[in-house]
Amino acid sequence: MGYVWLIPVLPLLSFLIILFTRPVIYKKAGIVGTLFSGAAFVGSLIVLFSHFQEGNYLVEANWLSIDAITLTVGFEVNPLNALMLVIVTLVSFLVHMYSIGYMEDDERIATFFAYLGLFTFSMTALVMSPNLLQIYFFWELVGVCSFLLVGFYFYKPEAKAAAKKAFIVTRIGDVGLLVAIFLLYWQAGTLELDGIFSAAESGAITPTMITIIAILIFVGAVGKSGQFPLHTWLPDAMEGPTPVSALIHAATMVAAGVYLVAVMFPLFLASEAAMTTVAITGGVTAIFAATIALVQNDIKRILAYSTISQLGYMMLALGTAGYTAAVFHLTTHAFFKALLFLAAGSVIHAAHEQNILKLGGLGKKLKGTALLFLLGSLALSGFPLFSGFFSKDEILASAFSDERYILFGLALFTAFLTSFYMFRLYFLVFAGEGKGGAKESPRTMLIPMAVLAVLAVFSGFIQTHWFGTFLGDWLETTPYPVIFSSVEAPLWIPILASALSIGGIALAWLMYVKQSVPHNWLYGSIKEVHQVLDRKYYIDEIYQGVFVKGLFVFSYFWSYFDRFIVEGTAAAMRGVVTQLGKTGVKVQSGQVQTYGAVAFSGLVIVLLVIAALGGYFQ
Amino acid sequence: MNGELIVFVILFLITISGALFMLNLSKVVHMVMALVLTFLGIAGLYVTLAAEFVAVVQILIYSGAITIIMLFGIMLTKHSDEEKKTSFAKKGIVLSGIAIFFLIMFSAIQNLSLGSQATTLHENNTEQIGIMLFTEYVIPFELVSVVLLVALVGAVILAKRDDAKEGE
Amino acid sequence: MSSIPLSAYLVTALLLFCMGLYGALTKRNAVIVLISIELMLNAVNINLVAFAKYGVGASIRGQVFSLFTITVAAAEAAVGLAILIALYRNRGTVNVDEMNTLKK
Repeated sequence: MGYVWLIPVLPLLSFLIILFTRPVIYKKAGIVGTLFSGAAFVGSLIVLFSHFQEGNYLVEANWLSIDAITLTVGFEVNPLNALMLVIVTLVSFLVHMYSIGYMEDDERIATFFAYLGLFTFSMTALVMSPNLLQIYFFWELVGVCSFLLVGFYFYKPEAKAAAKKAFIVTRIGDVGLLVAIFLLYWQAGTLELDGIFSAAESGAITPTMITIIAILIFVGAVGKSGQFPLHTWLPDAMEGPTPVSALIHAATMVAAGVYLVAVMFPLFLASEAAMTTVAITGGVTAIFAATIALVQNDIKRILAYSTISQLGYMMLALGTAGYTAAVFHLTTHAFFKALLFLAAGSVIHAAHEQNILKLGGLGKKLKGTALLFLLGSLALSGFPLFSGFFSKDEILASAFSDERYILFGLALFTAFLTSFYMFRLYFLVFAGEGKGGAKESPRTMLIPMAVLAVLAVFSGFIQTHWFGTFLGDWLETTPYPVIFSSVEAPLWIPILASALSIGGIALAWLMYVKQSVPHNWLYGSIKEVHQVLDRKYYIDEIYQGVFVKGLFVFSYFWSYFDRFIVEGTAAAMRGVVTQLGKTGVKVQSGQVQTYGAVAFSGLVIVLLVIAALGGYFQ
Repeated sequence: MNGELIVFVILFLITISGALFMLNLSKVVHMVMALVLTFLGIAGLYVTLAAEFVAVVQILIYSGAITIIMLFGIMLTKHSDEEKKTSFAKKGIVLSGIAIFFLIMFSAIQNLSLGSQATTLHENNTEQIGIMLFTEYVIPFELVSVVLLVALVGAVILAKRDDAKEGE
Repeated sequence: MSSIPLSAYLVTALLLFCMGLYGALTKRNAVIVLISIELMLNAVNINLVAFAKYGVGASIRGQVFSLFTITVAAAEAAVGLAILIALYRNRGTVNVDEMNTLKK
């Protein structure tokens, strides 16, 4: 346990080594990065298993003391951290391995692996942080990595714009988090998590303030996790390389928002309003993103909206006190969504096409990819006995038992939509007649996908009410005061959910394979709805109109203010100084007589003053 | 009004009028000549102050040597006949400053009297100065001789035509 | 005993000093400026000699001092004229208001 700090250091080393030996190492960068991230993964596994025996671990050191203010740094291992470590390092390791094949033709492959190393370092350090300052620090660092990797193809204008958008939109959320940190320090006098929670428990922070702080923290989480209304950056972030989408924008970084809320969960529990906010935001985001995903045609964008929707699920779970459910879904989602992205990447790699309407019949050519993609889709759709089934049940049960029936209904409907859009995607890409040639991806790409597929299928069994709630029991050993509501879901919920899931799959099959239901029956009947969904509820347009244009107007006002008033003042000042200078030049004429006259007038003035004050006449 | 006062008034008038001529004449040579008048007047004032030796030195050095040097200076340089007029404003400012200075000083000294008078200054005046110079003030005296020597050498070097440089 | 008051001499000196000052500050001919300075020095000399007769602890010292002043004034006049001539050679003028730089 004492060597837990090695886990973030290994990817950092990978980053530094690749960064400084980039021209030499070139294509071998992938191997170096994979080895280091593999080592980090092994380390995480060791930490996980030793946590089973040794329990929680926390080491802290004073970083700096300013007067009475003491800031600490440290590492912490508790169930949540250990789980996140394993998820992050595992997905990172697999993505590294996958990228060796995927990125082999790219000239900047070494840079790519360096960024991946930096990201893995930041993310592992983020999940091990025992205080908010450190969390914030690495929180921003993963944001930077996301920016760098989204903009990896910076020569494409869309990628450039997407990187900027990702950075700026998440920054809006980060401001909320930063303000929350300031408020917490002001209120609790410390940034360490246990200190904050004990302050909240002892009533040192007023309930109103707790609500404000919790909601501000949630704003940060909203930005990072792409929740409504700050979700717009996530679909655009798909301009980055596909392994990056799998690692950062599906499995790990976007889950950081959920992780943050989970970490600060005791604070949220103390505020009913904050919980409601989280639940409603999550539920709305889930159905909102799922409806958009119905009509998208870009394979990665569908997955991106699906990610937003699933993250909404997690937030919904947290908002309905389903801590275990959220963490559980985070875990399973990390596996199957990473799998789906990698499989999508494999498709793109093979077919060089992202529009699903132009793809088709790939099932015969890419047998491996098709199978893996099917497994991932089944898991995401919540097909019985797949991992997504258990975790989604857990969330539904949590929403139901918290008596939020509207949100429960939305979540159920979202489950149906999810399976429908996933299989629409699957059937359009893999079923039917082939259009154009494609070659199966290399083994370095298939093996990581296979590993993820196994996890996507079976990871659900770590938490079921049939065999045992291992995950829930283990999470209860957290050092922080989290209340675990053990929910026994009524039997009809999983049955209904399964029915909806299978119904969605069936509908997709009927529409896109048998074609007994015409493609466009929905489209034909309600064109306007389709139009709205296709334009993603016009959110981008609204933001453009309200914020961007508004800001332009505002900026123009200040620009003119600056130009005429500020610069005018400055010019006036300059004029005064210039005139003074010119006067000074005239005084400095070199005329000794003038100098003498001035010096003499000085003497006269001194004499006058002395005489006026009485002087020696007294 | 005794004779002493009459002599003083005459010398005073000579001195001041010489200075006034100096300021108001237009030709440079005339100005220097007017100044000789002032120097002579001052020498006379010295005599009334029982300083015969200083009066003689005054005539020798000022009326003689310095005036001659000035005349040489004037002849070695070119002068426009008319002294160019300085601007009226500048003159006014300087004049008013000097007037204030004069008034303050005048009010300070008009009734100044320190009470005592030296009475033996005129007895062997030259001898007394000589004794003083060669006893108590012998070091300043020697230093002054150095100053004169340095001034002599300096003046020669400064005024010498810099032939070597011009030849290059 | 002399019947002329001390302030008579002092006022004479003051008048000379003021006129010398006026000349030094307003005349444009460098020779005249030098002469004006001589006038101011003379005013000081009158004061020295006057105080030698009328001052507190009056003695011959004042006269000795005035001799030193005369000597230094002579040296000053010589060097001043030498500078003037050197300047005239370089710049071709004796106008003070055209001598406004320290180099050629």
